[in-house]
Amino acid sequence: MKDKLMPYVLLAPQILLTLLFMIGLVTGITQSLGVIPAFGLKKPTLLYYKEVLSRPDMMRSVLYSLRIALFSSVLATAGGVFFCGVCVMGKKTQGAVMRIIQLPIIVPHVVTALFIINIFSRNGILARAAYALGMIQEQQQFPMLIYDPHGIGIIMAYLWKEIPFIIYFVIALMANINGSLGEAATNLGAKTWTVFWRVTLPLCRNTIISGFLIIFVFALGAYELPLLLGATVPKALPVLAYQEYIHPDLRNRPYAMALNGIIIAISLISSLLYFLMMRKSVKCLTEEQ
Amino acid sequence: MKNKRKSIFISITQFVLLAAILVPAVTLLLWIFTERWTWPDLAPQVFSKRAIFEIAGRKKELLQILWSSILISTVVAVLSAVIGIMTARAILLYRFPGKQVVYFFTILPFMVPATVFAMGIQITFIKMGLNNRITGVIIAHLICSLPYAVRLIMDGTAAVGSRLEEQARVLGASPFKAFYKTSLPMLMPVILSAVSMSYIVSFSQYFLTLMIGGGNVKTFTILMVPYLQSGNRNIACIYSTLFLGVTLLVFGVFEWAAGRFMKHGGGEFYTSE
Repeated sequence: MKDKLMPYVLLAPQILLTLLFMIGLVTGITQSLGVIPAFGLKKPTLLYYKEVLSRPDMMRSVLYSLRIALFSSVLATAGGVFFCGVCVMGKKTQGAVMRIIQLPIIVPHVVTALFIINIFSRNGILARAAYALGMIQEQQQFPMLIYDPHGIGIIMAYLWKEIPFIIYFVIALMANINGSLGEAATNLGAKTWTVFWRVTLPLCRNTIISGFLIIFVFALGAYELPLLLGATVPKALPVLAYQEYIHPDLRNRPYAMALNGIIIAISLISSLLYFLMMRKSVKCLTEEQ
Repeated sequence: MKNKRKSIFISITQFVLLAAILVPAVTLLLWIFTERWTWPDLAPQVFSKRAIFEIAGRKKELLQILWSSILISTVVAVLSAVIGIMTARAILLYRFPGKQVVYFFTILPFMVPATVFAMGIQITFIKMGLNNRITGVIIAHLICSLPYAVRLIMDGTAAVGSRLEEQARVLGASPFKAFYKTSLPMLMPVILSAVSMSYIVSFSQYFLTLMIGGGNVKTFTILMVPYLQSGNRNIACIYSTLFLGVTLLVFGVFEWAAGRFMKHGGGEFYTSE
């Protein structure tokens, strides 16, 4: 009897926090459907979503945020996995170098923004170096790398933060697999590269994909970097959502929530994809057996 | 020959990454002392300690923010490690209906950005009287950092298993003592990772702190953003350096405490080998 109760006792604080989280999520979703009794809005409607998706400025924000999130997370994942692979194959997965490489994980995004401004702005080190090398004659000739409409500065900041995160997320597992199963394959005559490609990488796939999804969703919904490094137009989704949220006219709030709803929808679709892929990989294994 | 080329390739890759990580840190230090640095010179023309004196004059305010930042993040880190251990054990070591659902909901905050959650929960927090208060900020941060802790500690718990603990139980130890003397010391490295990760998640949080803290609860990020927006780089760089230094110091303390615990606290019999 005591043992039956035990898991629930252990889970109690987790469940409380999860409930709170769900209240936040559900409130957001109901408000996006235009139900805010306190403001006299009572009937659920899809109007706000329709309007958000048909307004060109808002649609541009959606695409802008999606592009930044996709670019930064794909590049960070590829870069991080590449680096893990190089280190694992060279059996250099520990030591001072690895500790330094994981340093960006502890640097807040706000500070990363400062780094990017110091280096990539038109007043930054790169622009000065370009002048010194005679590549540009005037400050204005240096390409707009931050506050630009393509979000290059934001993507760069995310890469600086997220490549080490992927390394941190993946390297222990990868070193472990490459050391045990990879060793076995090498003993059977496979080449280092083949082992990595055919044994280690497939076995790390789920971890890599979940790392990718975490940084993708983070980049999609993060506020600081687009605020500090982004262009005035288009604005990133969370920045625009917050702007609508604090709008003096409280009836604008459903727009904010609809924008958030779009973020939630994209995140949920990507997590669903993840679960489907996991199921498929399990199926493959059982069929082969 | 081939091996040598490979090791050169590895060294180059590591070097590039190291440079990309460390060069920005150098610019941070450079800007602390930069008084004037006009285009297009490669090095600043005039150095001074003006910015440092300016900040030293605001010592009281700064110390207060430093204190509240560290307090919030440390409480969040410790709580999320404790709750993480509890959740991980419940999910991995017990049978109960709805386990998959519980696991799904624990990981869900990974998939919903903090901004979305913050705007949704604000009304509830206001109603509960948690808004504009440190307690509220801690709870909100905890929700965001918990998935990291649970994930890490679940991996650790799965690797450590429960055999030694059962052994201790058979030999007559109480459940808590069995856990404290066997599993906990072995889990310590993972717990340390979970504590550090949660600390960072909390420490870096801007939007959530802004919404729930409502400007009343001041942390490092809240302090920094206005300086970045107004382009006051000297001050921003000093604050960044200061807070990064403090973070490293706090991590050093965490590591020291974990090492001490592993040596003197729990099962010295298992760590000595």
